[in-house]
Amino acid sequence: MVAIDPTLLTNILLIGLSGTLICLAVHFIPVGGAPAAMAQATGIGTGTVELAAGSGLVGLITAAYMYTNVENAPMALILAAGAVGSMVMLASTMFSGGLIYAYGVAVPFASAQVKKDPITGDRQDTYISKGTQGQGLPTICFVSGIVGAALGGIGGALIYYVLVGIYGQLISATSAAAVAGVFTLGVFYVNAVVPSYGVGGTIEGVHDPKFRRVVGKDIFTSFFVSILCGLLAVLIAGGISP
Amino acid sequence: MSDVKERSPNQLLLIGIIGGLLGIYLTYLLPFAGDKIGGNPAIVLRTIAPTFGALGGICAVVWGADAVRRVAKYGLGTGVPSIGQIAMGMGIIAAMFGLAIVKTIVLAGPIVALVTASILGFIVGWFAQNVIKMKIPVMIRCMTEIAASGTIIIIGFSAAVAGNFEFANIVTLVFDNGIILAVFWVGAVAMLHPFNACLGPDEKQKRLLYLAGSTGAITMAIIGIAATMTLGTSGVITLVLGIGLWIIFYKKFWDEVYHDASSVVGTGLIPKTEA
Repeated sequence: MVAIDPTLLTNILLIGLSGTLICLAVHFIPVGGAPAAMAQATGIGTGTVELAAGSGLVGLITAAYMYTNVENAPMALILAAGAVGSMVMLASTMFSGGLIYAYGVAVPFASAQVKKDPITGDRQDTYISKGTQGQGLPTICFVSGIVGAALGGIGGALIYYVLVGIYGQLISATSAAAVAGVFTLGVFYVNAVVPSYGVGGTIEGVHDPKFRRVVGKDIFTSFFVSILCGLLAVLIAGGISP
Repeated sequence: MSDVKERSPNQLLLIGIIGGLLGIYLTYLLPFAGDKIGGNPAIVLRTIAPTFGALGGICAVVWGADAVRRVAKYGLGTGVPSIGQIAMGMGIIAAMFGLAIVKTIVLAGPIVALVTASILGFIVGWFAQNVIKMKIPVMIRCMTEIAASGTIIIIGFSAAVAGNFEFANIVTLVFDNGIILAVFWVGAVAMLHPFNACLGPDEKQKRLLYLAGSTGAITMAIIGIAATMTLGTSGVITLVLGIGLWIIFYKKFWDEVYHDASSVVGTGLIPKTEA
């Protein structure tokens, strides 16, 4: 059995922290769910998990690529690679979604949660169609989404970086990358679904009143669950024979 | 719905756990028994053993699909797929932990994984119920069940690809070549699809369970394709048996759909001009 040493604790805490970052990220991403798919709510028309996981996993791929191809890459570089990968993925999703909302469905982009866009200052309420919760992706949602994707990408990359460092000493590089990658996937899904239950499926982004209402308890949950996952991840290392 | 006799959650739980674990353990014990006998039976047993892992996986899929049905009935707000994904997320963490932590006591692996998954599922369920306050009475129990079934699905189908459930073996034959992603995703869809497809006011458990059997079987067929790469002949058996089971279960599902529908009519093609 492994004794409690500082590196071990740091690793567990880092995994807990990354899980919390992923959870926080979900709150920033403008998720509209099914109503948004019919242009009846603000946000991208798909589920929280799909968006968070989609962007986060691209971040994981870019981070893993950076880890493999740059020798002794510093942690910051890996995290940055993860963040950029996620941001590119979510930005392109929102951009193409926006094109369809604007030119395909022909709706003006407006948020139902705020009267004026906090970034551009444009009036929102007059542009909302009757009986809907806003449409499309206003500037604040887009920016909020990009910030969220960056957080998610950093979270995913951080778990990967920590785990591949632990397992890399025990098994071959390919196996370590595979095991770390799959474990990250698991932690990612748990932490993407937990907050999506908290927000109840849809959220507009950082300006949504829901954000302040649920972010605290979601983060508490995610931190606890991720610490547990981190503990399991570190214990796995004890079971892997070189 | 109340006049239709349903299979109780406990009954399905037993099918899932006993069937799942039996299948998983047979992948390990059959070659072992074969070595004792020796000769031709040993080769036969060694070849068919991995297929049992996939059969165990199907039992877990049926159980998991029913657990998803019970919890998702309340309306999660996020769509049914989310619960399948969290199940697999918890399942894969627990599976890796369980199989790796036991080191040389290989036989304890699946049990440890199952217990770990249940604990993880219980904690997530408890938080969802009491901290996030989802107000779903069956949340804790169902979250525990789907995590446990998720881990059996992962181990069962992985064992079908790797031949047994030794962690080192699974790492080389399932993780390194990326087959684990197929196990993860196809397994998740197998579990979440039945309720996602059947939900609605006229949803019936029998129809859903047959559909769960068919999604489990098609997963088995896909895993069979993967297993032909790693194990050769055993994979072909898994593939053929998977397709066979899929046809049987899908036909059952098809019959149930016809039975439950008031009538099935052909609508013909869409008319070219409006009348």
